[in-house]
Amino acid sequence: MFERTKNINLSVIKQIELRAAKYPDVISLAQGVPNFDTPECIKRRVELALKRGVVAKYSLSPGISELRELIETKLAQENMFYDWEKEILITVGSIEGITATILALTNPGDEIIIPEPTYTSYREVIVLAGCTPVFVPLDEEKGWAFDLEKFKSAITSKTKAIFYCNPNNPTGTIYSKEQLMGLAQLAEQHNLYLISDEVYKDFLFDDKQKIFSLAEVPELRKRVIRLFSFSKSYAMTGWRVGYLHSDESVVKEILKVHDCLVTCAPVISQYAAMGALEMGDKDLIEMNDEYHKRRDLICRHLDELSHVFSYVRPESAYFVFPKILLDLDKIKYSDSEHRNSLSWQFTLWILKETQVALVPGVAFGPNGENHIRMSFGRSEKDINEAFGRLKKLFIHK
Amino acid sequence: MKKFLKIILQYYLKVITKIVLVVHNPAIIAVAGSVNKSFVRDEIKNILLAKGKKVRANPKNFNTEIGLPLAILNIESGYDSYRRWLPVIKSAFLAIFQKNFPEYLVLELGVSQKGDMKYLLSIVKPQVAIVTEITQRYIESFSGMNRLVGEYVYLAKKMKKDSLIILNWDNERVRSLKKYTKARVLYFGSDNSKCDGEIQEVKKVINGIQVKMRYRNKEKEVLIKRFGAHHAASALIGWMVENELDGL
Repeated sequence: MFERTKNINLSVIKQIELRAAKYPDVISLAQGVPNFDTPECIKRRVELALKRGVVAKYSLSPGISELRELIETKLAQENMFYDWEKEILITVGSIEGITATILALTNPGDEIIIPEPTYTSYREVIVLAGCTPVFVPLDEEKGWAFDLEKFKSAITSKTKAIFYCNPNNPTGTIYSKEQLMGLAQLAEQHNLYLISDEVYKDFLFDDKQKIFSLAEVPELRKRVIRLFSFSKSYAMTGWRVGYLHSDESVVKEILKVHDCLVTCAPVISQYAAMGALEMGDKDLIEMNDEYHKRRDLICRHLDELSHVFSYVRPESAYFVFPKILLDLDKIKYSDSEHRNSLSWQFTLWILKETQVALVPGVAFGPNGENHIRMSFGRSEKDINEAFGRLKKLFIHK
Repeated sequence: MKKFLKIILQYYLKVITKIVLVVHNPAIIAVAGSVNKSFVRDEIKNILLAKGKKVRANPKNFNTEIGLPLAILNIESGYDSYRRWLPVIKSAFLAIFQKNFPEYLVLELGVSQKGDMKYLLSIVKPQVAIVTEITQRYIESFSGMNRLVGEYVYLAKKMKKDSLIILNWDNERVRSLKKYTKARVLYFGSDNSKCDGEIQEVKKVINGIQVKMRYRNKEKEVLIKRFGAHHAASALIGWMVENELDGL
């Protein structure tokens, strides 16, 4: 019974949120949810669509043509050129796009390389598809960069794809063009796909202009599947809408899976996405500025706890991934289920002692053990309050 | 109250825009259709700019009853804020005296419900109109395809005798608009014998599409660094408009 699901788990992030919900005064820096409401311009677009009575029925399976046209234009502004009619697909958040992509591209038994630590759900989707995730550790000493030699060693005859998140969750790293082109070279040599989840691509701190994407390289069109979601950039996590694009020969196959999974993305959310693209630029910039300030704030707090945490300053996204400097025996908590995991024990201990919810680093891959993830998607007030509690606990440790 | 104020604003902007258009008398090129309007609009705009002409085109979401006048007057919307509309009202009036008003307006006409085209054409009188496609898009707002097509029939009927309408031969509904218009008609499409402008070949290459096209007895081949047949059509329409500019 349940052969397919026995090897996958409810996301650790959700597990933590469920545990945290039992505490009366919890502050959660766990789940990566922006504390902003969806911008007014997006809501107005949706109101207009509701008034006109155009959201009740299915859209075409690839998505509303007007939205796909807008996306084609937006991509062109970012040096990526794709045909809205055949090469762009509107998905139910990026996770549905990822699931449809992996189901379309792979066969059971295939291997997919994931640089880690990375987003927790990738592993579950890969296992659900009957494939094997092959974790390749990022190098924390080099700011969580790729080590291409390790990627090379991980490739076998069963490898089908390299799947990465750029900018990366949980480390906030932006992979350089040089690193990505190194991956591309490997993909060419071994005939692999490159699946690029770029949901945080608009989070640009420290005067960065734009991230580089392998989807910009014309020679790689048939190898690269790029995904984006409106959730993070536009505070639309609840709307469940994103898109993917690739060469038409690839999208044609992904579309078949997408169609049988969901028929189409929620039409009301597609109109919201249109509002985001047409009028959301100003809000995007304002939110990004806020995240930038919060990044600096959380780093200042971490600096004051330098005996407990060390960290690589995140360049993007809204997470920081500090290393725990305490030993397991200093943590006065015992959870039999995760007795040997420092990051789990630490997380549960912090939750019990301070009612601050974090995410154990091991959730993001084996290389994430001894780390925890903190989100600065929350308000400054919440961040300050959370660290106030942590400092009380740690100041004499 | 809000609805009432919106109606007043709409009427005010319409009147001002009509005055501005009389005063400055730009040539107006209108792009209509269910899909691909923005690509055609941008192509025509870029061709005119390359020829050193002063052009204004409306952004994607400025193609309806308030958006179109704002785009013509080159004023930002006040969106939902009463306060932000006050300077808009002032700026609209001052637009009558705008220096350097563009010689050409390339305007996307958005039709999403019955009566939209009539309203938009009460503001602008295009010298050139292009109809790209008529598809099921927006059909929910109309009680059937015929009503949707009716919007474009209205456009065809309103085009004057000395104006030009460029129709997509490959779309039967678009092609049939000819019978409703007094304007000069040119066709674009893939049929050699019927089309004034023909897309002869579209070949996908590594960094775009290689397109062979013909307009009347002239032929050319271009590399478009984009993907999709709609870019071939946009390039052809742009070429056709470029050739007809002297007539404007």
